[in-house]
Amino acid sequence: MGILEYFRLAIRALKSNKMRTALTMLGISIGVAVTILVVAIGEGATKSVADQVNGMGTNLLTVHQGPREMRLTAAARTAPTQSQNTLTLDDADMVMKLYPDTIAAVAPQVRGSIQIRLFGANATSSVLGTTPSYLAVNNQSVRKGRFFTSMENESNLKVCVLGSTAAENLTGNANADLTGQNISVNRDDYLVVGMLTTKGTGQGGQDPDDVVIIPVSTAMQRVLGVTGISDFSISCVSPELMTLAQQEVTSLLRQRHHLQPPFPQNDDFRVANQTDLLARSESVTKTMTTLLTAVAVISLIVGGIGIMNVMLMSVKERTREIGIRKAIGARSRDILMQFLTEASIISILGGLQGVLLGVVGALLLASFGGWNAIVSPTALVIALVVSASVGIFFGIHPAQKAASMHPIDALRYE
Amino acid sequence: MDAKEGLLLRLRDILKIYIMGGQEVRALDGVDLDVNVGEFVSIMGPSGSGKSTMMNMIGCLDVPTSGSYQIDGAEVSDLDDDELASIRNRKIGFVFQGFNLIARTSALENVELPLLYGRQKDRRAAATAALVRVGLGDRLDHTSSELSGGQQQRVAIARAIVSKPRLILADEPTGNISTLQSEEIMQIFQELNDDGVTIVMVTHELDIAKHGKRCVDMRDGKIVDDQPVADRLLAKEMIEELKKPRPTSKQVVAVGA
Repeated sequence: MGILEYFRLAIRALKSNKMRTALTMLGISIGVAVTILVVAIGEGATKSVADQVNGMGTNLLTVHQGPREMRLTAAARTAPTQSQNTLTLDDADMVMKLYPDTIAAVAPQVRGSIQIRLFGANATSSVLGTTPSYLAVNNQSVRKGRFFTSMENESNLKVCVLGSTAAENLTGNANADLTGQNISVNRDDYLVVGMLTTKGTGQGGQDPDDVVIIPVSTAMQRVLGVTGISDFSISCVSPELMTLAQQEVTSLLRQRHHLQPPFPQNDDFRVANQTDLLARSESVTKTMTTLLTAVAVISLIVGGIGIMNVMLMSVKERTREIGIRKAIGARSRDILMQFLTEASIISILGGLQGVLLGVVGALLLASFGGWNAIVSPTALVIALVVSASVGIFFGIHPAQKAASMHPIDALRYE
Repeated sequence: MDAKEGLLLRLRDILKIYIMGGQEVRALDGVDLDVNVGEFVSIMGPSGSGKSTMMNMIGCLDVPTSGSYQIDGAEVSDLDDDELASIRNRKIGFVFQGFNLIARTSALENVELPLLYGRQKDRRAAATAALVRVGLGDRLDHTSSELSGGQQQRVAIARAIVSKPRLILADEPTGNISTLQSEEIMQIFQELNDDGVTIVMVTHELDIAKHGKRCVDMRDGKIVDDQPVADRLLAKEMIEELKKPRPTSKQVVAVGA
């Protein structure tokens, strides 16, 4: 008997109990869909981290406030410098001035949350105070108009550059050109001088385009009322000089902040480079993916047990049929193949259905949830192969049970 | 009998012992039987006489505890499971009391099954021909639930003859059906027998047994009587009798017996 005949027999048997077949398939398809979704989200997350790190510009160092490692050691707790705003504008200026051979540009950044308005349209956005170096350091560009100048920066003028999401929140159109208009930032009028090019996805669900960029001292004094800055970005002269730059900046800041050893425990700042960032994000992503994959594998196993359960029931129900088939000349192998084919069809169809569910789910997550989900063909193939294997693995026991029945006992079974 | 065509079944000192509740039960206790090609043997006996065990043994569904059974010259105890399956498929056609059709499956597909397991081609044509042969040419696509008992048994006969076996084994073939339908079944058997097919039939009804050419009587796992049927009944005549208007079918059978 050829595989085609086994296939036809199996299809007929499955059709004769559609509800049961569908429910058994569902078990597998959920497992497969979850697997595909998890892998898609994992790959998407990895890619958006990579994109973002690349998007920040090469040779980039970022200096944040706070210790490099958050440890509740005695030293860290008693450290007197553990307050907010330990980084100052002067820190950033000094870094730029002292190491012209290694550091090409420095962009101080101060961040906060603000209310913006335009003709009655009202939105919450984030404000970023920085200097004109920001564009070069962060690999950003202006789509319309211009960035504010050093002059405007030093004069604390009320000018701003708008990100596309901020513009969309005000006008309903991400491509709106608001240059030359005044928008209200915390009830103060700011002249829009330029529109930023859209950056796209960001890290940790933050939208990098939902931003209003204004001169750094304007932000500190007029908008946020702070004396320190949040962080600053450093663009090195070349990738080879990054390690040196990191050392220079670290020792300078320790000196300026009058920090005492041991280091790095007593540092009140941390210097991060892209590689660190990437590695950290990747390890988080990896942990998440491993965890979710475990969930997916478990659900596939549960689906497989469902198949085994249904097949065992089916074998028992069809004992008489097995007896008849054996009496008219079916070999044990024929019976084995018939039930194994049934189990495989359930799991393969379930797998296909799961692939469909998974892909649709990933697309929905991507378009409505704002997640970055990438469905790779490899994941699809693996999911299908795994689901087929699950069917065969869990189908073997019931099929063997059917095949090993004695024809007379089977025929007498009521 | 057509001894010249040779011996089809040869049973020698067949012993079959079951253990039931720790007790040894001799279902067959030293049976000797020869069946030649072209015979129509009825095996009779009360329940527990071992006739069903005998049937299973002849049908290669079971193997004897001891003794020798040859079918068409092949010693059955030498064969493995696959070879037994192959003998059941090619040399034997089974007709059971409970019809034993596969549910939710059309008559045609039921009849095709032995050919499927025998890996034969042109299954549809052969199955159709077999169904036409038993008078069900217009019921090919009906499933068993859409057929009467007699019709189901005829599908079962079609399934038994489709692979053109030399032997038909029938276990109480008229057990669950009306008298007229029983006679129709017997008519098919007698026609098949006339065409040279050997038939071995187990029954507990004397009227049915008398359609055969030879009657074997069993008691307690032994053959107690084995002789030709003297006043053989012909199903064709019986049906004509039954179709006459007045008397009820019970009376006719009584008269016929």
